[in-house]
Amino acid sequence: MTSDTVVLPPPRRRSRFRPGRLEPFLWIAPALAIVVFVFGYSMIALGRTSLRYEGKWTTENFHVTWSDPTFRTAIGHNARLLLAVPILVATSLLLSILLFEGLRGWRFHRWALFLPYVLAIPVIGVVFGQLLQFNGLVNQILRALGLGALAQDWLGQPRWALWTMTGVIVWRELGFGIVLFLARLLSVPSDIFEAGRMDGARFFRLHRRITIPQLSGVIVFYVVIEAITMVSWVFNYVYVMTNGQGGPGDATQVTELYIYQTAFQYQSPEIASAAAATLFVVTLGFIVAFFHIQRRSGIGIDE
Amino acid sequence: MHRKLGVVVAVTVVAAALLATAGLASRSSTTTRKALPSGPVNLTMWWWGQQEAAGATDWLKQTVTLYEKKHPNVKIKTVLQTTDGLIPAFKAAAAAKKGPDIQYFWGGIWSLDDAWQGNTKAISDYIPKSELAHYINAKEDTYEGKVWTAPWYVQPSFPVLYRKDVLAKAGVTPPRTWGALLKACDTLNAKGITPLAGGVKDGWFGGWLFAIIGAQGITSISDVLDATTGKAKFTDPKLAAYWTRLQELRDHKCWNDDINSQDLYTAQQAMVQGKAAMTVSAGSDVKKFVKSVGVAKLGVMAMPKWGNGPYAGKLGSTSQTVGITAWTKNPEWSADFIMYMHSPERMASWFKTTGAFPADTRFNTKLITLPQQKILFGLVKNGSPYLENFIPPELDAKAYFAQAQLLLGGNTDAPQAAAATEKVAQRIRLTQRKMMANFKKWSATYK
Repeated sequence: MTSDTVVLPPPRRRSRFRPGRLEPFLWIAPALAIVVFVFGYSMIALGRTSLRYEGKWTTENFHVTWSDPTFRTAIGHNARLLLAVPILVATSLLLSILLFEGLRGWRFHRWALFLPYVLAIPVIGVVFGQLLQFNGLVNQILRALGLGALAQDWLGQPRWALWTMTGVIVWRELGFGIVLFLARLLSVPSDIFEAGRMDGARFFRLHRRITIPQLSGVIVFYVVIEAITMVSWVFNYVYVMTNGQGGPGDATQVTELYIYQTAFQYQSPEIASAAAATLFVVTLGFIVAFFHIQRRSGIGIDE
Repeated sequence: MHRKLGVVVAVTVVAAALLATAGLASRSSTTTRKALPSGPVNLTMWWWGQQEAAGATDWLKQTVTLYEKKHPNVKIKTVLQTTDGLIPAFKAAAAAKKGPDIQYFWGGIWSLDDAWQGNTKAISDYIPKSELAHYINAKEDTYEGKVWTAPWYVQPSFPVLYRKDVLAKAGVTPPRTWGALLKACDTLNAKGITPLAGGVKDGWFGGWLFAIIGAQGITSISDVLDATTGKAKFTDPKLAAYWTRLQELRDHKCWNDDINSQDLYTAQQAMVQGKAAMTVSAGSDVKKFVKSVGVAKLGVMAMPKWGNGPYAGKLGSTSQTVGITAWTKNPEWSADFIMYMHSPERMASWFKTTGAFPADTRFNTKLITLPQQKILFGLVKNGSPYLENFIPPELDAKAYFAQAQLLLGGNTDAPQAAAATEKVAQRIRLTQRKMMANFKKWSATYK
């Protein structure tokens, strides 16, 4: 051995710890712990409150909630709001395709269509609340155009109020769908579309055969997100546009508002918890159903 | 002997003077100082009122500054709440047992509901009886012998304001009876003038209407309390008559055509602009309307009379209140600040700034100079209980707010509205069992 000899450190013994299939869970454990703490604790507290009254375990809170005509109305309204989901999907798809096709001034159109989505819901609520008054700008324009017969008390009449609110929700949520679909469309290799065109496919066929299949995964995602929005994320719209009343009468009452009013205005936390637990189960049902359908059809799984 | 007598008299006079000084001191807010805990104190006050007593924000800011100057160890933060947020924000704070030290409450059940929930401390445990005796309308905030919140200012509930010039132009005299009101509606409509400006979009006006029209048909407050507890029904003629009157107003097109899409405060502006002949306002806000319309042009009256009951043709009288929260660490200081709000100088300043009457018998009524306020003061002095303070908030919102919207929008009629009100009351008796038990005890004190 000479003085130039480099002495290597002894080889480190490799750890015998093999996490194997557990490894992914170890990586996500810190985040999982926070999620379990935040949501797990809340869910346990929710379940407990919904099943107790005056210190006793009972299912009566659920019976009382489910027999409440206002709660049933609220659930019915959420179900009606779900009708907006196919409208949202079809409209966003059409508009994103038009933008993708290079519609003249598409940058401006894209900006204009996405703008509503970045506006705060209270701002939208206040502005539309003003515009849609019986003597508001919308009706003033209709009257000026000689279409006074079409002027309605959009938010003040029970037969119109929920549909009007649906329209406002669609207007805002559309932007999200457009950006989502457009982003996916821009990532599709252009030669697929060129090949389709060379094979003689025109607008309708091209997009039915190429675009929609390419976008299927994103479409399913958007449907799930919007379905959840309509069931349990419309509180802000209703609260701002009806001053927290869900009126006129109970024409725009939705489940979230019912929970809020029952818990914080009428001080019945056990009834509010029963309603919230019901809403959670319904929402969970939606998610499970969508993923079940997705798995069975294979849409968007192998992308 | 005379000398001895002189000494006795002198001692007695000195002792009396000392006692009197002590007595006087105990009346002022600072007298409780000896009992007040020392050390730095931070108070938070959640309040509402600027919305119906313009200038209240400035007054409160000034009052806090003066109080802090007087008590350098105390810092008070005030947070103005929105109308829709006042109750839910406090209920959320109560659930967390964290939030304000001093909280604003409307009177009656709006104050007592939180007392029943254990969210407030009885104000009478911290404010001497002799002081509380001056607070106007404290009875409606009393439960089981304790006063739970302290009246702050009187709310004359609720006057009809009318434009003398607009009515005169249409050849209509201010209607004092129901028949005259309906006739006035017909005449004004024929001339293209909106008779009454109102808005029920935010619901609250529905509760006002119930109180100012509905009270005229009952014989005592027990009629409403009994219907709430189930001893009587909201479909009984005395209470159902309110819906018939409201339908009459609708059928005679007394209201603006967009009443369902306007909130009340916005709708009132039609009267200010002269587009409507009359409106209903918060009594505490009359000065604001006098300023906008002009002293000579604005008239004030009670809702035209239709019934023969003791409250017919009268204005309701209630007081807006402040209470001490159950979780505050400084109830004594909170009470001391509330008493400071009632000091003569602060009351005079309150009236000058807002035009609303302080809820205190010691208020110097000579300060009332505007003719409209004089009329209002006369009406409120002989006022009746304010009905909306005697029904559960859920009944108010789900029946009186909601059915007023439906009826005025032409979507229901009087019998259906009365039946719907009764159904809501029945449901509340099922779902709000704890509240109803307390409500029954409270209602018994009005027998």
